[in-house]
Amino acid sequence: MDGFSQKEEQRLLKTLQQESDNLGLVERRKFLKNAMVMVGAGAVVAQTGSVIASSNLPPAVPSWSRKLGDGVLTNPYGLPSDYEKDTIRRTVGWLTPDRISSISMTPLHKLKGIITPNGLAFERYHGGLPDINPDEHRLIIHGLVERPLIFTMDELKRFPSVSEIKFLECPANGGMEWKAPQMEGLQFTHGMLSCCEWTGVRLSTLLDAVGVKPEGKWILAEGADGSGMTRSIPMEKALDDAIIVYAQNGEALRKEQGYPIRLMNPGWEGNTCIKWLRRLEIGDKPWYQREETSKYTDLMPDGRARKFSFVQECNSVITSPSPEVPLKVKGWYEIEGIAWSGKGKIKGVDISLDGGVSWRPAPLKGMIISKCLTRFSYMYNWQGEPLLLQSRAWDETGYVQPTFKQLRAERGGNSIYHRNAIHTWKVHSNGSVQNAQLS
Amino acid sequence: MRNSLNFLATNPCCQMSDNKKMNSIKLVFVCLAALLVGCNQSNTEQPADTEKTAIKVIESGATVQTGLPSHYPIGHSVSAEVIAGWDIEIRPDGLGLPEGVGSVEDGEALYEEKCSMCHGSFGEGEEQWPKLAGGQGSLEEARPEKTVGSFWPYASTLWDYINRAMPFPAPQSLEPDEVYAITAYVLSLNEIVDDEFVLTKENFATIEMPNKDGFYVDDRPDTNNQRCMQDCKDPASIKVVLGPEYSLGKKTNDKVEASTETTVASSEQQAKETYESVCKVCHAAGIANAPKLGNKEDWTERLKQGTQAIYNNALNGLNGMPAKGGRSDLSDDAVKSAVDYMLTTLE
Repeated sequence: MDGFSQKEEQRLLKTLQQESDNLGLVERRKFLKNAMVMVGAGAVVAQTGSVIASSNLPPAVPSWSRKLGDGVLTNPYGLPSDYEKDTIRRTVGWLTPDRISSISMTPLHKLKGIITPNGLAFERYHGGLPDINPDEHRLIIHGLVERPLIFTMDELKRFPSVSEIKFLECPANGGMEWKAPQMEGLQFTHGMLSCCEWTGVRLSTLLDAVGVKPEGKWILAEGADGSGMTRSIPMEKALDDAIIVYAQNGEALRKEQGYPIRLMNPGWEGNTCIKWLRRLEIGDKPWYQREETSKYTDLMPDGRARKFSFVQECNSVITSPSPEVPLKVKGWYEIEGIAWSGKGKIKGVDISLDGGVSWRPAPLKGMIISKCLTRFSYMYNWQGEPLLLQSRAWDETGYVQPTFKQLRAERGGNSIYHRNAIHTWKVHSNGSVQNAQLS
Repeated sequence: MRNSLNFLATNPCCQMSDNKKMNSIKLVFVCLAALLVGCNQSNTEQPADTEKTAIKVIESGATVQTGLPSHYPIGHSVSAEVIAGWDIEIRPDGLGLPEGVGSVEDGEALYEEKCSMCHGSFGEGEEQWPKLAGGQGSLEEARPEKTVGSFWPYASTLWDYINRAMPFPAPQSLEPDEVYAITAYVLSLNEIVDDEFVLTKENFATIEMPNKDGFYVDDRPDTNNQRCMQDCKDPASIKVVLGPEYSLGKKTNDKVEASTETTVASSEQQAKETYESVCKVCHAAGIANAPKLGNKEDWTERLKQGTQAIYNNALNGLNGMPAKGGRSDLSDDAVKSAVDYMLTTLE
């Protein structure tokens, strides 16, 4: 450090650290930041890049071990550590003309296990985020029923409830990459995906309460937001596993997820899981609403389009390493990722290190639940060689996740939705990781 | 469902039971009696849970409760009038359409006032906002244009969506005749009806969309990948197309932005966020005659009235401007800060 002897420098830094010990975290940072500017940025470099931290490393006794911390209820609703400030949802500015009808993505690279924390689950609004007073919210079920009914939120909670861990995915997840690898990281290639424990009443239980007439084959689900979001849902799905959800990972459903209630159709397009649900109408035919004609239909190369493409087919991605999680040194690493299928349980995941020339099974770990994220893991001793990392999942129906080439051969480049192709990360010899496609 | 059993259906005490067939005379009598004595609206019918429940251990060893009712009598009956307020959707066969009439001519004026700032005067779409017209015959091309005329299979979807979600800053604000008129005009932009056309509930079903046969029910799975494990392809055949290098956190990247909700922002940033999320929708393109961001001409007259007057208009609304931009949850200070931010763009 310029102008100071080593001894002087150590004394100065020690003084700074002692002075700052009595300050709160934010003040301490501010103080140290200012002080460091005064002392000179050279100090940081001179001390192997972490002067401040080093005084907390062994054999030194860390500053937090030599004083008392904050008391209970400092944060009545707890938040992540201040050191996790970059674990946030992000969006891609050019994707939509504004943020009212837009989407943000889950930071998958920061998550472990299969549960997405409530504050990180991706958002998708078509008319902005409504602020709904639950006391003034109602669910009406009517149409081809014996007893049209209106429910308060308290009444819905009197029915028997179920809690199920299910993934939720926007069918446009990965949809920016039909023509080329455009996105720079995992959060943007696969982040329109979350997985929560959803609690609520089975839709079939509510349908029993109203008494569906035999000619009732479809259900129109409608949201109370400014877009009046609607989708037509076949009766078979409603009677199978659909849930009217009011809680998420143990607490009340988040506003972004449809507070006070939403529809959850496990394994189906996130768009069908109508948020801020206000109405279910039973009819004998679908309604062909905007979100099942103009949008959320898959345009094929022959100029025709698939409609009612509800299911999110089997998919997977390696979350570590990834562009956000590069390899920093040579040695052993856990190659880890997530797999999911809207048709049931994940049966297995294979990984390739060479762009799909050879494959090896990667063990599944943790819980394996139908229509839920499933973790896979493979230990690998990396010695600086470049890799073309891929994962290939298959589900209990026997369906194997397709290559991008296979998908493009069937669907061309304009179908936007349901891009569940095998994904490639290029690992460079310096350990950095880049989004890639193989042709 | 809009059916005709009006009195019976609208009286909350008189929902017919699914397992007890009453004759209508008896039903009317019961209903009149209920009206006289008042009815307990918390039950939709006689409780169905009179059976005794029991706890039973099943084969797997789990415990279940048996003897529960086939359905739970929870919830209130709901009248046709109450349902009608929310029952707004339209089906391709016209089911759900209210009485009304609207001409292409009337639609043009309404469209110009309420729609053109985003969708363009001829449906061509401003900036990234949706294009509504043209594109016919483009669906097989490399860059297809999916518009009302080229892609949408049913005119009912147009009527329904305009009615429920448009204009974007003021959903569910149009009268039925206005919806008929704007629908007629958008159809005329696509040359589906002529300029003299008048759309009504009666002639609605005669509208035929060019792409009505362009859809088929999902036929996936459409791929049949196999779990090849070794020598699956020639390594020399692999061509790698690389995406952008990962840059987040390494340099400023205006393409990738943190979600508004969790970003800790300075007051100036927060003002900009408020503008972006609330005000921009109108003030970027000048929707509903909103003064445009950074456009001195638009603001000159307003500035003459002083900043306080502009604050007041933003807080209380004026003409097309809803109070607080329609976001009553915003604090007065947040709205004022957003105004300040917009004014700084004029400097």
